Amino acid sequence: MRVVIIGNGVAGMEAALEVRRREPAWEITIISEESDHFFSRTALMWVFAGQLSHQCIEPLERDVYARLNFRRVRARAVGIDVEARQVRIAGGHDAVPFDRLLIASGSKPRPGPWPGSELAGIGHFVTHQDLSWYEAEVHGGPSRGGPPPNADAHLAFSTPDSPYAKRPVAAETRGRPAKDVAVIGGGLIGIEAVEVAHAAGLHPRFFIREEWFWPMAIDRTESTWISDRMREHGVHVHLEENVERFEGEGVVERIVTDQGDYAADAVVVAIGVVPNTDFLRSGDGEGDGDAPVTLDRSGGIVVDERLETSVPGVFAAGDCASVRWFNGAVRPEQLWYTARDQGRIAARGLLGDTVQSYARGHWYNSAKLMDIEYTTAGLVNFHVEGERNWFFEETGAVRSTNRIVLSGDRVVGFNFLGRRWDHSVLLRFIDEHRSLSYVLDHLDDARFDTEFVPPLRVPMEARLRGLSEGPAPSALPQPVAPPAV
Amino acid sequence: MDLQGQNGLDAAFRASWRNRGGLAWLIAGTLVGFYTLLYFGGDLGLNDIPALNFDRWAQAIGLPSRWHLYGLLYTVGVVGGGIAYLRKHGNSRYNTYRIAVNIAVQVLLAFTLPLAMAVFGQGSYYFSYLWPLAWYDFHPGHLASLPAAVAVWTLGGALVLAPLMAYRYGKRWYCSWVCGCGGLANTFGDPWRHLTASSTKSWKFEKVAVHTVMFIAIGSTFALFLDYFAGDRMPTLHRIVDGGDWWSVKRLYGYVVGSILAGVIGTGLYPLLGPRVWCRNFCPMAALLGLQQKLGRFRITVKPDMCISCGNCTTYCEMGIDVRSYAQSNESFTRSSCVGCGMCAHVCPRGVLRLENLTKKRDQADKARQGLPVVNL
Repeated sequence: MRVVIIGNGVAGMEAALEVRRREPAWEITIISEESDHFFSRTALMWVFAGQLSHQCIEPLERDVYARLNFRRVRARAVGIDVEARQVRIAGGHDAVPFDRLLIASGSKPRPGPWPGSELAGIGHFVTHQDLSWYEAEVHGGPSRGGPPPNADAHLAFSTPDSPYAKRPVAAETRGRPAKDVAVIGGGLIGIEAVEVAHAAGLHPRFFIREEWFWPMAIDRTESTWISDRMREHGVHVHLEENVERFEGEGVVERIVTDQGDYAADAVVVAIGVVPNTDFLRSGDGEGDGDAPVTLDRSGGIVVDERLETSVPGVFAAGDCASVRWFNGAVRPEQLWYTARDQGRIAARGLLGDTVQSYARGHWYNSAKLMDIEYTTAGLVNFHVEGERNWFFEETGAVRSTNRIVLSGDRVVGFNFLGRRWDHSVLLRFIDEHRSLSYVLDHLDDARFDTEFVPPLRVPMEARLRGLSEGPAPSALPQPVAPPAV
Repeated sequence: MDLQGQNGLDAAFRASWRNRGGLAWLIAGTLVGFYTLLYFGGDLGLNDIPALNFDRWAQAIGLPSRWHLYGLLYTVGVVGGGIAYLRKHGNSRYNTYRIAVNIAVQVLLAFTLPLAMAVFGQGSYYFSYLWPLAWYDFHPGHLASLPAAVAVWTLGGALVLAPLMAYRYGKRWYCSWVCGCGGLANTFGDPWRHLTASSTKSWKFEKVAVHTVMFIAIGSTFALFLDYFAGDRMPTLHRIVDGGDWWSVKRLYGYVVGSILAGVIGTGLYPLLGPRVWCRNFCPMAALLGLQQKLGRFRITVKPDMCISCGNCTTYCEMGIDVRSYAQSNESFTRSSCVGCGMCAHVCPRGVLRLENLTKKRDQADKARQGLPVVNL
């Protein structure tokens, strides 16, 4: 049996490992342009800062491909020939035949819609090549950890529209590294790009369209703390400001918004990601633009409960697949742990199992916003029926904000900043339909602070006074699904 | 104030002196040269430094003695490195308390007290070093020569206190709170902690090496006993175990383990191999405490399905444990080599890891945690 996997990210690699565990003799081929080795995409910011080397963010030892006999094709897939059962490759590379196929091609950055977006010095922070570009702009090159081996090996087998193409570096033209960095887009990738620029000793500008940072996940009070923290560190936070265009001669020099114009040497556009599925449309050689598997309006690959696409024997997993969310919505979910779980489920399909299906559990996540810990679990910012919010801001030795969302008398969600929490215990509270007073009495069970950190103590009057009727005010025109991390 | 988690990023891989650049080699060369002179200089007649005999105070604290000078430099390294460490990670309560204890133990127990004892004409005694790290402490003749309280501490500390504490809190109570080697590694040596190898190969080497030294230390202790009680009748045995020849067990152990592995390689190569080469691969005390830890209550708890495999924990583990491999497979774990420095939990951007001394209550909490699969795989 010949199994081919397009994509060397967490979904693709989990599937490859799972298939190999069960079938030692099957041929497994992994096609991907980006990097020889599987790496953790969520860790690019530490490579930029120099806290980690590129090898540090590779979760498996480098010999895994040889040891598990995975054939590695470092080239761009440009289409799937469903009748001939093969994947076409760019640059005159032989097509790769398959019996069963997994598409796990991930996301690519959403391009900026503004005039001047083609100027050198404007990029993203999603792929390894984006990282190299941003490092070259700010630091003049990679850290002493070095670039990954064969960083450019895919270029001979790629196309100019590839998200893994090399980006022009304005700092090289200008002859000096960037001083004025601007980041557009108030989400997690945006704040990471800001944080690493700050760590490099710069004072970046952070342009956010909404009333406050990250309105999908946190409310105004919570967000104000984070914006204040960024400002304390010397970041210029521009809220409710819309970018209009970029200006410059070949390289970006200025960024013009509806409220002013600012010098800019390097601009990171972090306004979200879209499914990386264009290659399915463009590469059939007939020019009719139809993908061989059905895509939805967002570009996500339509799959059934087993993650099988419209073509039998062809599966999709990870960011590129439109899956059913816990609230019933069907669309791509750009998240590390769902991609990993989908990779494992898709592997069952590749192996020919018919019973296993993908069922998304509760929403939960955690992150670090500058140096502020963040944990969320359950339905926060979903406008649930009979919504009430309980809120308590802790001051003193530990600063934290603690929000618990209720539907009627039932606790349905948590949004905690400033401390560490075990989300699995919080989710158990939700599953057990607990009341607010029960949860507050048992909050210590979910404590995950490091040793010697004093526990959260909620004064009696705050327990009663913290509750307010109605949903938390939103900066967004309508409730949306939680954000990607 | 944030009392946990990393506060600001660390540009370790952008500094050449922290990444085997020219300056790193220079520092390593200097340290190796220093330790070679310190341990083997006596054989070359370089015993003391008369130039430091400048007044009666210098003479009183024994400054011209190269061992006293070394103690002073060591203390300066722990205090200076400790201050630098706390400037970077001092927001964390765990780090602050731990490093403060390290500094206090070095300044008071390992430096001031032995010096004071010497000044007052007593034999110096280092209360913070226990058998089998101080393997010769168990020599029956030596034990008999000690004041009773010190002898009780020597035996009780090593045979009762250390195992009990390791069972209850893990070996961290010693290796990263009290021990002088660990104290220097976590202060002066901290800038190089990311250089510790975390490959499977290095783990295999560690397991063989550290347990070999442990068995040699225990075996040599038995040999001391044998020699003490039967040496009179067997002069050859005495010569082999405790004789003055360079090839006697005592001298060889001192040269190879004490001088070369702990000093020249273990500390001299901080800037090239990371600060815990000795502790991880050769320290008999760490090996023994590790076995006790493995049976005890200390562990690192992993929050399920939250790891993003970034690699900060594995990279900043000074013992070369691939923490990420446990975190990404939702496996709470106790590794015998873990010294409980807390850095994996500190640098984790998702708060996935937590150092814990398990109690029964925690076990019950664990049961509640299990059976919460996010996807029913």
